[in-house]
Amino acid sequence: MATGETGIIGKGIVIKGNLTGGGDLVIEGRVEGQIALKNHLTIESTGKVQADIRAEELTINGEASGNIDASTRVAINASAKVAGDIKAPRVVIEDGAVFNGSIEMDVRLPDDI
Amino acid sequence: MANTVIGSSIVIDGEISGDEDLVIQGTVKGKISLKESLYVEGSGVVEADIETQNVEIAGRVTGNIVASDKVELKTDCRVVGDIKAPRILIADGASFKGNVDMDMKER
Amino acid sequence: MATPKELSADAVNNTVVGPSILISGKLTGDEDLTVRGRVEGELTLSRTLIVEPSGVVKANVAVKNAIVSGVVVGNINATESVELTREGRMVGDIHAPRVIIVDGASFRGRVDMGDVEPGRLPAERPVVARPTTVARPTTPAARPSTTPPRPPVAPSRPTQATVVARPTPPPPPVARPPQSKPLPPPPPPRAEPRPAAPAPVVEQTASAEPPTPFAVGAGAKKKVVVKKKTR
Repeated sequence: MATGETGIIGKGIVIKGNLTGGGDLVIEGRVEGQIALKNHLTIESTGKVQADIRAEELTINGEASGNIDASTRVAINASAKVAGDIKAPRVVIEDGAVFNGSIEMDVRLPDDI
Repeated sequence: MANTVIGSSIVIDGEISGDEDLVIQGTVKGKISLKESLYVEGSGVVEADIETQNVEIAGRVTGNIVASDKVELKTDCRVVGDIKAPRILIADGASFKGNVDMDMKER
Repeated sequence: MATPKELSADAVNNTVVGPSILISGKLTGDEDLTVRGRVEGELTLSRTLIVEPSGVVKANVAVKNAIVSGVVVGNINATESVELTREGRMVGDIHAPRVIIVDGASFRGRVDMGDVEPGRLPAERPVVARPTTVARPTTPAARPSTTPPRPPVAPSRPTQATVVARPTPPPPPVARPPQSKPLPPPPPPRAEPRPAAPAPVVEQTASAEPPTPFAVGAGAKKKVVVKKKTR
């Protein structure tokens, strides 16, 4: 995790509305609304997010529902539960994670398909 | 690379084509065209027209066979269909019903 | 030239579609299938499909497990799991209780893992029932099935949403009998022996070992079967 720039939304916090920013963010509490972040967003296992999310990179250990648009990577870790549509060049789903929705990556197929 | 093997529990209904040996232990219905050898093993059941270079049949084949080199019917095989190939071997104990054409004029 | 007997001894209970082979049509079976070539049409297995890096499957697939390191275009319906490995590429929808997408894999389509298995819920949040639309009365924007772009989350029920941490209407997971995991039906038992001509070697490894991703003896065979590869 990055150092000084990292914001944390603690366990007891509930945020409703839009969340934008430039630094990394760790969500341990709840966020409802919209999130637009220039850097890395982490939803910890206690975190619960109901929001459309835009970020550079997204790591989910908790719960997220809403559409996700990441410019580099989305990691859905084993403890995560995610529902929504994901658009990102790289998407990783660990064994044990629960995901329902669609994923859109670039898929380079052979020409003769 | 290992050869292609169609295992005994596999059923294929369609076409198989390719440039390598094919071993059939299961069931294939449809059409087979190969540039190499086809082996229909004892458990193999083929209901297909076959076009290949070589065929060795120990199982059951229903369909016409055209081979550019050789067709070999082994003991205990059961083949129904016409065979066209420059070389045809039929082993003692094989059962075969159909025409044999070893004429090479067309080739 | 290797005889069929030698070949079959190597390929114990594992069907292999070699790199130059194209199968188009309908393929069914009760054994593992390794695809290094191409299969088009429809593919139904009661066991594991392995698509190797050179393999292409352009088919609707119904299997127990699928491991994709090659290309799949079509839908996969698996009773157990689907894994896209680092080299896997897939376009289509996946329906399976376990879906694993490894970094490096590429995928476009829908993923449907169905309901959460009871044991998988984190202990401190036992109430969040998964059944997507019905079980979440407080989160209208959370439906995963929305494909068209939705408007930004409507703050439709702000008051309710925060307070009601535990939706009452959905059946609490506690009510679920612990054993009632949504397990897939057991696969049909081993392949039945064919009456006329039993395949002697086919079932040897069926019980003990997990399916080997690569055909057993592929390497061992190499020197015997010298093959021109045309791909």
